[in-house]
Amino acid sequence: MAVRVLLADDHPLTRAGLKSYLDSEKEIELVGEAEDGQRALEMIRELEPDVALLDIRMPKMDGVTVARMIKESGINVNLIMLTSYDAQQYVLASLRNGAKGFILKTAPPEELARAIMVVSKGGLFLDSEVAGAVGEDELMPETISAREREVLLLAARGFSSKEVASKLFISERTVQTHLASIYDKLGARNKTESLLLALKYGVVTLEELLE
Amino acid sequence: MKKHLLLVFFIATVFPVVAALSIAAAGLFHHEKAMERVARSYAEDLVENIAYRLERESFLGRRFSLGMFSSRQLGIFSWGPSIPGWIAVVSSDGTILFSSPGAESLKYLWSPDMPVGRAAEVYDPEGKKYTIAVYPSSDGDIFVVGAVAWEKLLGPMIRFNHLWIFLVIIVFVAALSSFLPLWYWVVIPLKKVVSEISSLKWGSERPVRDDIRAVNEIRSLRQVLYDLSNTSIERNELRSRYINDIVKVQEEEKARIAREIHDGPLQTITALIQQIRLFKRKVDLSDNRSSEHLDIAEEAARNTVRELRGLCDELSPPWIDLGIEHALTELANRLSRYFNINVNVDVEDDLVLSRESIVTLFRVFQEGVNNASRHGKASNVNGSVFSDNGDIKMEIVDDGEGFEPEADLEKLRLKGHRGLANMMERLHLLGGQLHVESFPGRGTRLTCSIPFNKRSQDE
Repeated sequence: MAVRVLLADDHPLTRAGLKSYLDSEKEIELVGEAEDGQRALEMIRELEPDVALLDIRMPKMDGVTVARMIKESGINVNLIMLTSYDAQQYVLASLRNGAKGFILKTAPPEELARAIMVVSKGGLFLDSEVAGAVGEDELMPETISAREREVLLLAARGFSSKEVASKLFISERTVQTHLASIYDKLGARNKTESLLLALKYGVVTLEELLE
Repeated sequence: MKKHLLLVFFIATVFPVVAALSIAAAGLFHHEKAMERVARSYAEDLVENIAYRLERESFLGRRFSLGMFSSRQLGIFSWGPSIPGWIAVVSSDGTILFSSPGAESLKYLWSPDMPVGRAAEVYDPEGKKYTIAVYPSSDGDIFVVGAVAWEKLLGPMIRFNHLWIFLVIIVFVAALSSFLPLWYWVVIPLKKVVSEISSLKWGSERPVRDDIRAVNEIRSLRQVLYDLSNTSIERNELRSRYINDIVKVQEEEKARIAREIHDGPLQTITALIQQIRLFKRKVDLSDNRSSEHLDIAEEAARNTVRELRGLCDELSPPWIDLGIEHALTELANRLSRYFNINVNVDVEDDLVLSRESIVTLFRVFQEGVNNASRHGKASNVNGSVFSDNGDIKMEIVDDGEGFEPEADLEKLRLKGHRGLANMMERLHLLGGQLHVESFPGRGTRLTCSIPFNKRSQDE
């Protein structure tokens, strides 16, 4: 059975392009198109698609807000955020608000299809252009130690180095050493990137992150 | 030498007083001398005249008797000389033979070696002054003595002469006491004006408008200074409103252009890329060498998308709308990449700010990291945002070279710290503050604070 997809994008040209992408995929069935956030929310409630592609910037209600409202109302739909922007914070904000995927509008059709398939099965998909300099999913990073994982998770939840240090009963300097080591192993340049890469590589799960 | 006001007044007051007193003293001195000369010649004339008459009487054979006095010429002995004083006829041993009233004091004045025919000043034991002239008569066995009693003649004037020294003192005290009002009405008020004005923050403070103790000129000076400070404040307010408008319009315009780019060209070119890809998918181009043109077109379009995104980010990144934490973290990551230094930011959880506040903190953070990297050559910059007593505080700490901080906005600008001045200005627009702690060689700590609910007050 094909994956039922709803597409929400306010720009007619890009929407048409994405529609064509999806139409060419046999396993994907486009069940509806919305041109703003509010309509997207209504259609998700109405059509109950498996996956909804939400543009972040839309009139009336932005994609992140739509995601949050869906998460709050407990509707069972897997969300993929669509955007023209490569800001990593969009990814984090989307994930925090319940999205399971993040893809750029400029991504090739195959990648969009793969994202939909991965997310429909409950997986997580992050656009490689956004989620770090190291692009290939297959590349397995060096093993991260349990302690480093702990530090990364706490840092990911928004605790400062000082707070992480006091929670784990270690010094702030040690926290920073751990973080530096994590960045190095994942090939990340900062906390956000290390987080996205860790998610991508499955070092941490989305549930752990959002706990 | 500095020309102190008091010195000028001292000269202006004391010089005329001294001059007037000196002239008066000289006048009095000459007046006394003249009086002395008059008294002498009168006394000399008188005794000579009387002696002559007495001689003539005795030549006529009359003996001295009281009856003689009835004669008109010698009636002087009954009523005394026409000028206060007395006249007496004495024997050579000083015994008074006869005299006009008041001649009793002669016995204190008489001395055998009195010059004859020439008047002289003598003093009795009480210190009273007399001008006395002696003239011999009747072959030198009797003498006519005439005296002018100064005290009776010039009583008040002599007393005045004695009071002279007190008068000088009184005049001096009066002159000096004129300094008191001068001190209280002119000098002190002037000093107050000077100290007030020199420490006045032009553009934000006003001096005291009036000083009722001061003379009118100083009061109007104060009024003028007050008006001047008002003008300065008004000008400052106008300027800040003007800057506010510029910043606001600039931000709005930037955001508008960014939105236009995002919703227009960026989407269109994205659609273009999609269509190229769709075309490539549908048409088998594997053996067609012309397909490289399509690849180049796609690549060009993708580059354009990146450029347009970069342009939007420079103008007004749409991700500012994600809230303070996401916005600053994204900015920190980007700045870190751009300057190749460590930039971290820690934002207090669940902090919700107005867009205006976020944009301000965003711009200040951007400027702060820019300064730290470019001027301070810092390799680590740490930012933190937290709420504190109803204020939002943002700290930016770097490990750069530091500098000599300067609190005055204008001086900052003049010194070339335009970035800091701009940050301050932006914060001021939200009623915020910027505090700079820095020292050459020890890095810099910027602390900004803006009122939390500024936005809700405005609306």
